[in-house]
Amino acid sequence: MSADFLKRLGWFALFFLAQVLVLGRIHLFHYATPLLYVYFVAMFPRNHEKWAVLVWSFLLGLLIDVFSNTPGLAAASLTVIAAIQPHYLELYVPRDSADNLKPSLVTLGPVKYAYYIIPIVLVYCLLFYSLEMFTFFNALYWLMCVVGSSLITLVLIFTLEIGRGH
Amino acid sequence: MKNLLEFLRHHYHWLIFLFLEAVSLSLLFSYNSYQNSVWFSSANALVGRFYQWTSAVESYFSLTKVNEDLTLRNYYLERQVTQLRRLYGEATQKMDSKEQQGLDSLSRYQLIAAKVVSNELGKMDNMMTIDKGSADGVDVGMGVACGRGVVGVTYLVSDHYSVVIPVLNTHASRISCAIRGYGYFGVLRWYGEDAAYAYVEDIPRHARFKRGDWVETNGYSSIFPPGVLVGQIVEVYNARDGLSYKLKVRLTTDFGNLRDVVVISDRSIAARMRLMQAARDSLKLNVRE
Repeated sequence: MSADFLKRLGWFALFFLAQVLVLGRIHLFHYATPLLYVYFVAMFPRNHEKWAVLVWSFLLGLLIDVFSNTPGLAAASLTVIAAIQPHYLELYVPRDSADNLKPSLVTLGPVKYAYYIIPIVLVYCLLFYSLEMFTFFNALYWLMCVVGSSLITLVLIFTLEIGRGH
Repeated sequence: MKNLLEFLRHHYHWLIFLFLEAVSLSLLFSYNSYQNSVWFSSANALVGRFYQWTSAVESYFSLTKVNEDLTLRNYYLERQVTQLRRLYGEATQKMDSKEQQGLDSLSRYQLIAAKVVSNELGKMDNMMTIDKGSADGVDVGMGVACGRGVVGVTYLVSDHYSVVIPVLNTHASRISCAIRGYGYFGVLRWYGEDAAYAYVEDIPRHARFKRGDWVETNGYSSIFPPGVLVGQIVEVYNARDGLSYKLKVRLTTDFGNLRDVVVISDRSIAARMRLMQAARDSLKLNVRE
């Protein structure tokens, strides 16, 4: 347990620092901001305790919120993803795979992994920007933010996945 | 009863989910009453300290550019002062009393130098944190400017840090400004997207000006003294109601590269507020009698 826990804590700190110090300050073409930390939730293995996924994700979201002046925004969106992830992952695991299968490019295969990760990132960006613009709605700007951020996040995730696979 | 316990044992993670969502959403929606959530924003001392470290490191990378800007600005201002002094001397005979008045109007504004420790550009409602707070004399509702133009208005103040609502915020207080040399005035608004441009609205139809004219604060509010630069007119539109002009201005302040700012604290505000309050109280008393 403790080795797994420490490893996860390491990823937690890494995603948090990367978002607060670097990624959160990128606004490509005024629209696209990488929201890489959603990858942290997508990394949870099959049959991981559901409450633990929720609490990890909530804390990561809250910490990022506190440091970017958006209380509740990332926490609310990331907790939704954390609630969906365990059920959603079941759709893509091969029948005869291990109980604690870790979703990755290698274990699921490139096509299934793409089917798995793209909706997660899209839904996350959709939730994030919908909540952010709750009061001031500009449809085109909203759409550009969702699409731009999803694309740049996916590019980062696939880069990381390919890097970890080797 | 047994069934209920069994049900809870299998599905308790959904309860946790609902609880965490409730916490997040209540945070999200109660944030509009900022006072309650000063702990969850970057006015929080711990977060402020963290950003101070990172911006201390970052500031080294842009020092050359900042110095260049400052020197240029200094040179420009110095030249302006000498020019104005010469013009002033030519235009007025009674030097002594007028000069005294000019000095008085400047000393009204006490400037508190501050450093930006966190800043945002890409959102609809951007916020900025500076490293001076109530212990340094900063109060809610004070104007913030930098060497190149207006920045915003302080909104939340803790002991050593303050949150500033910059011009780049759709909820920013509408700073009153005027076209330099003409005096027609309007209010400054921002609608998101591009951090380099903002709009000046409610310029009257009969106003005469041209593209490239400068816009500056007009000093009608007690937040900014008159003459702080805002930007340069790049485009003129008709307002939707057809009764006024809407100007697109290129902001002189480079929000993407902001380190050193000053908070303008107006000593006469407190006196003015007291007078206003006294007037209101006496009115109430009279009405009651």
